[in-house]
Amino acid sequence: MRHYENLVIVKPTLTEEEIKNTLAIVEEFITSNGGEIIARDPMGMKKLAYPIEKNARGYFYVIYYKIAPSAISEIERRFRINEEILRFVTMKYDTKREIKAWNDMVEKTKKVAPTAPAAVVAEKTEEVAS
Amino acid sequence: MSEKRKYKKRFCKYCEQKVDFIDYKDVSSLKYSLSERFKIMPRRLTGNCKRHQDMVTISIKQSRAAALIPYTVSRKVIAGAPFDER
Repeated sequence: MRHYENLVIVKPTLTEEEIKNTLAIVEEFITSNGGEIIARDPMGMKKLAYPIEKNARGYFYVIYYKIAPSAISEIERRFRINEEILRFVTMKYDTKREIKAWNDMVEKTKKVAPTAPAAVVAEKTEEVAS
Repeated sequence: MSEKRKYKKRFCKYCEQKVDFIDYKDVSSLKYSLSERFKIMPRRLTGNCKRHQDMVTISIKQSRAAALIPYTVSRKVIAGAPFDER
């Protein structure tokens, strides 16, 4: 089991429900391959630094998880197939220093949002709408 | 020394704070090593040490892939601040 982190950018044109569903699918990719999700960090709707597929904005979502290294290629393959996902970035945390940073980031997410991920998603999208 | 020095020779900012790991999602910590056109600033101007400069360049390239920092900025965009909301 190795420490990994995945940043996913979801299309901004989807509704709240659809974003929630795609994120559930993304988490299912990881858990079905024997991964263990430790923390989630919804960064919310953000402006992209450059347009991706003509979208100016995107919904950023970060997942921290542990998984065997061989399963990563399968997860990335499924990310490419899913059309709701604009971009994904997979990071490996291998050395002692990196794992320490990984633990710090996990604790930071737990401090900020101890609630369920679904509730946080709803809050963030409401802010954007108002 | 007739030529005026544009930037002061500085100590490494990251060494001073004892940074061990630079997160690519934390854009505000990377901004220091970026020019206004979002190029990576050379070490001789920022005063970063070699070790931290390597860490910064890697995480800048990672956050470019994650669409948090632009690769290039066109002249139209540079008039307004690219980090503004919406």
